[in-house]
Amino acid sequence: MEDRLLFIGMPLLVANIALAIWGSGDRHLHPAGVMAYLPAILLAFLGVAFILIFGFYLSEEQDEFQRAIWVQALLWGIGATLTVITFWGSLVEFELVKDLKLMFVFPLFMLITCIARLVLRLRYR
Amino acid sequence: MDCLPQNQAVRRFRRRSYASAALVILFAFIAAASFRLLHLHGILAWFVAVLPALPILWALVAVGQYLAEEKDEFQRALHVQYLLCGIGGTLAVTTMWGYLEDFAHAPRLDLIYVYPIFWLFVAIAMPVVKRRYR
Repeated sequence: MEDRLLFIGMPLLVANIALAIWGSGDRHLHPAGVMAYLPAILLAFLGVAFILIFGFYLSEEQDEFQRAIWVQALLWGIGATLTVITFWGSLVEFELVKDLKLMFVFPLFMLITCIARLVLRLRYR
Repeated sequence: MDCLPQNQAVRRFRRRSYASAALVILFAFIAAASFRLLHLHGILAWFVAVLPALPILWALVAVGQYLAEEKDEFQRALHVQYLLCGIGGTLAVTTMWGYLEDFAHAPRLDLIYVYPIFWLFVAIAMPVVKRRYR
């Protein structure tokens, strides 16, 4: 299951984010009407599918240790992502920094979770 | 609130949560008033701007402390599931809304709403997850 996540889910997610950045701000894509909602929902669907696949992986994982490592990494990911987003949001409210696009919350969470997992694996080696 | 057990760890978590919520309101008021009346800039402006976010960091630490202090393995597993459902829902909403903002010109959702959205999904997940184990 982890292999499927890494080799199918991750490239799809990266392609999804790259496509979104390329097309964001109407720089390259100029959709209108229903066509404006369709790519948004399709792109977001990939992200949601990734979350669901990850949920299934956690429930299927037989190795208690691997699951515990992932859960700990996810908890660190939750805490750090919410902290960064809230601090950044506070600074944006007072116009001290540029706004961060909402679509970057997911990649930020994934990045922090992956770093946390790496650190935890090194700790338990 | 019957989703939470009654023990020392929960009581401590509740105290910390209520205190952090009160501090968020107080610090947000102080920050807003300071910017409006004192026209802050430089390092002081940055410090005052992040002031309302500090109790939120404390609340997140309180969640971690609760998970570390909770002796009941089942309760801890339940809470981890609540939190994972919370982040799952939050990421789904922020991803979808983020794309809609860019492609469909949906109204802007401020970053400071991500934290309340997370807790909203945690609250929704609580009875649903608990019902699974009934």
